[in-house]
Amino acid sequence: MLRRLWLAPLLALAPGSALAQQAVVVSQAPLSSSVTVYRDTNREERRFNLRWLRGYALISEKRRVSLPAGDAVVRFEGVADGMIAVSAVVTGLPGGIEEKNRDARLLSPASLLDGSLGNRVHLRRTDRATGRVTETDAIIRSGPDNAVVLETPQGIEALRCSGLPETLVYDRVPEGLSAKPTFSVQTRSPQATEAEVTLTYLATGFDWGASYVATIAEDGRTLDLFAWLTVANGNGAQFDRAQLLAVAGQPNRSSDFDALVERPPPPVLRLSCWPMDSTSTRPGPPPPPPPPPAPMMAATADILVTAQRRTEKAGFSVIAAQEELGDLKLYRVPVPVDVLPNGQKQVAMIQREGVPFTSFHAGALEPWREETASVPLARMLRMDNREKGGLGLPLPSGSVAVMRRRSSDELLLADSTMKDRAVGEKVEIAAGLSDQLRLSQTVTASTEKERRYRLVLTNATNAGAAVEIAIPRLDGFDLATPGRLKDKDGGKLWSVTVPANGEAGLDVVYRRQ
Amino acid sequence: MAARFTATRFTMAGLSALAMAGAMMGAMQAAQAQTGEPTAQGDVSVTIYNDNLALVQDVRQLSIPGGVSRIEFPDVSAQIRPETLSFSAPGAAIVEQNFDYDLLSPDTLIEKAVGQVVTIVRTNPASGAETREQAKVLAVNGGVVLQIGNRIEVLRDDGLPVRVIFDKVPANLRARPTLSVRVNSDRAGTRPASIRYLTPGLGWSADYVALFDAKAGKVDVQGWVTLTNTSGTTYTNANTLLVAGSVNQRQATPYARRPMPPGMAATSIRNPGTETAGREQLGDFYLYPIANRTTIASNQTKQVSFLDVQGVPARAGYEYVNGWLTTSTEAQSADSVVSFSTSASGGLGDALPAGTVRFYQKDASGAPQFTGENQLGHTPMGSQLALATGKAFDVKVQPVVEQRQKLGDSKWRTTMRYELTNARPDAVTVDLVQQGLDFAWADTRIASESLKSERRSVDAVVWHVPVPANGRATVTATFETRY
Repeated sequence: MLRRLWLAPLLALAPGSALAQQAVVVSQAPLSSSVTVYRDTNREERRFNLRWLRGYALISEKRRVSLPAGDAVVRFEGVADGMIAVSAVVTGLPGGIEEKNRDARLLSPASLLDGSLGNRVHLRRTDRATGRVTETDAIIRSGPDNAVVLETPQGIEALRCSGLPETLVYDRVPEGLSAKPTFSVQTRSPQATEAEVTLTYLATGFDWGASYVATIAEDGRTLDLFAWLTVANGNGAQFDRAQLLAVAGQPNRSSDFDALVERPPPPVLRLSCWPMDSTSTRPGPPPPPPPPPAPMMAATADILVTAQRRTEKAGFSVIAAQEELGDLKLYRVPVPVDVLPNGQKQVAMIQREGVPFTSFHAGALEPWREETASVPLARMLRMDNREKGGLGLPLPSGSVAVMRRRSSDELLLADSTMKDRAVGEKVEIAAGLSDQLRLSQTVTASTEKERRYRLVLTNATNAGAAVEIAIPRLDGFDLATPGRLKDKDGGKLWSVTVPANGEAGLDVVYRRQ
Repeated sequence: MAARFTATRFTMAGLSALAMAGAMMGAMQAAQAQTGEPTAQGDVSVTIYNDNLALVQDVRQLSIPGGVSRIEFPDVSAQIRPETLSFSAPGAAIVEQNFDYDLLSPDTLIEKAVGQVVTIVRTNPASGAETREQAKVLAVNGGVVLQIGNRIEVLRDDGLPVRVIFDKVPANLRARPTLSVRVNSDRAGTRPASIRYLTPGLGWSADYVALFDAKAGKVDVQGWVTLTNTSGTTYTNANTLLVAGSVNQRQATPYARRPMPPGMAATSIRNPGTETAGREQLGDFYLYPIANRTTIASNQTKQVSFLDVQGVPARAGYEYVNGWLTTSTEAQSADSVVSFSTSASGGLGDALPAGTVRFYQKDASGAPQFTGENQLGHTPMGSQLALATGKAFDVKVQPVVEQRQKLGDSKWRTTMRYELTNARPDAVTVDLVQQGLDFAWADTRIASESLKSERRSVDAVVWHVPVPANGRATVTATFETRY
């Protein structure tokens, strides 16, 4: 549903000024919007924190404005609070843009007070005993730094130092304060016209990730790979029926986005007073604790589940389509969706069935480890990201839940992660440690000339297990291993199948050159 | 208007208040903030440097009485460097300049009342009845100690409501820091008085929007000057001039809003240019004047266009830098690099002030999407620029140390293998850079290589490696290091 659009040319400035002739055109809400979400690349494969979203989005809003002829200021209200004003691009204004302004001055208790400095306000006191309300005129005499000194007909007083319920009442809102984050541009239109303009900007407070579910079939040879496109919006702004997109890859981010976003006004106006030590307190009390963080409920209550938990062969009518975008990957949700404030949304993005995989256990020789205690091996799943490997599509980074299908239900085997994987790459998913398959490493000789190791793999399961042990190269040493081992990363790879309830061993020698 | 105005400007005390009122009326007409708030500023000129510094010149019509008088200057930058103030008015000689920053707050109010008598009003919590008493403030150390008659009390020790009423605001306590000069004038009368000072809190940088079309090999660039004002003051109807370049600031300044990472900015220029842009210059600074007078509001970010060039030839490429002769256990994405020129022929044709370049590319539906950003240093016209926009999803490099052999007491041989993969449907060329060849006075040379390299510097070599579409390529090289 489109929000009501309200346009009004306002004329509200004092006479005699050059700027006073400028009309102010207000665009309250966009006609349509598009939100492209970018990941926080520093997060790597970890899950994002809904209360602290470090990614960002490119927001593109179409708005209609009626421009008068001549100079006008166009105010775009209701932009995202995380707007990076310097990134804003406005197109579609017939006269172009003379300048763009971002005012951080939102109407808040603090800005109300600041804007009223030196002006007449009313001081209202309520008697706790009788409920009698008295109101006196006052002039704010102090600066805005969290303390108010008032001049009343009775003399000079400090606000809220007396212990009486007292507050300030204002006659008007100081000019230039707006309710919602606002962005404005100055334009000069050759004639009065109705224009459709596009406002495009980056905004912080978004993030997205791929949430994979890999379900291993009962035969243990193939898996079904499914992924949610999980998008979160931590802004107060709402985008109704928006085109939602997500970008995978790592676009460069060189400026400090947080520093570029105008901070919202502090939620609480704290007034300080004169020192309030009493005879029962020690001098120099610690400062009051900061206010508690907003309850988590606010973040969790709005999680939207756009589909039920995936059951056997669930179908999805909406699957995000993948496009190329330069050296990045773009995912487009094919239908308009509502992007709600403080909300997370999930749409299917990848669905592949019967993907063949191999499972193995991995470990490594650690040349400088002296202790001989055995270590558990890592369980790994390996897929080939090619058409013939059942995949052959870009796999953006995210979380992976590995499930194992049993006769009637599914069990969680591993809670893991995926890195960005291009087509043609091997995809390896770590699926936890196995205590039943262990590697023991013993240094059997350590002399000036050489260092010898004995590796023993033990298998406590009743099935043979494929194991890969990486044997690294050492600077200034020649590596000698029996038999023919594969090369890996300059070193060797010992691939072996450890028999059920059995052992396998290998001797490794590093000789100094 | 005059009435409201005098009520507003309470900081002007005594003598000068009357004198200023007239002057301010004039100033108000000359200068009107967008917010409609009155200001004491006159004809304001602001010259802004990149490194969080601005020179403010303000010519006000002041009525100065004959003899010695004190003139206050409200509406100067709240972050003014007061020692840089200079004042000049015809026929007036400066006696002294003062910057007072003893601010009015409940704290200072009661501290200044030590030894004085204030009125306290107690409210009976049961009946609401008020009782007034005179109290002498004995001390304010952590708490307020009062003498009421013959008794000594701590203010609000019992937590019951007590109002404290002061007779007046102590002299010298101000709502905002106040700058004043004491002048000796040879005559009375209104005349233009100019003040000039430096202030941090005003800065600018450039923001570029680059719409890159990889297929056509073209880029459209729009340049915006971004002005930020965190100085705490609005500059009304100011004549604004931006200077590209930094002046040496010996003194540490408060946190700059947009620090420029110097290393990063420097690397984007591949070949510094030798052309001169058709812009006004001051010494070797380029000046970017803003066409019309503009109001720089407090806490405002303002952007003004200064460059708009379409269809500049640009090229996409890939670069991977291996920082040291080392192994990556996983293939690493190469950087996507867009390169173009700032030359008058076949380029942007301008000197570019330092700033952030944001790249956009069109998606399948034709809508521009953000594809990464990078920093640009002050760039002379005619330079060749190469800006990394991000990491390529489909082009990856895995460097592997195959062997590192000790050949003697101070000689090593390192065999490197680089595996390059390309999952894109078109062939690409990757500039593969091996750095770290010049460490700790070492001398590294390439003994053999599978592809002819180009030595960029004593520290780095580069191979231009063609990688076929949906294919891979391998480069091997043997380095000999002597130290």
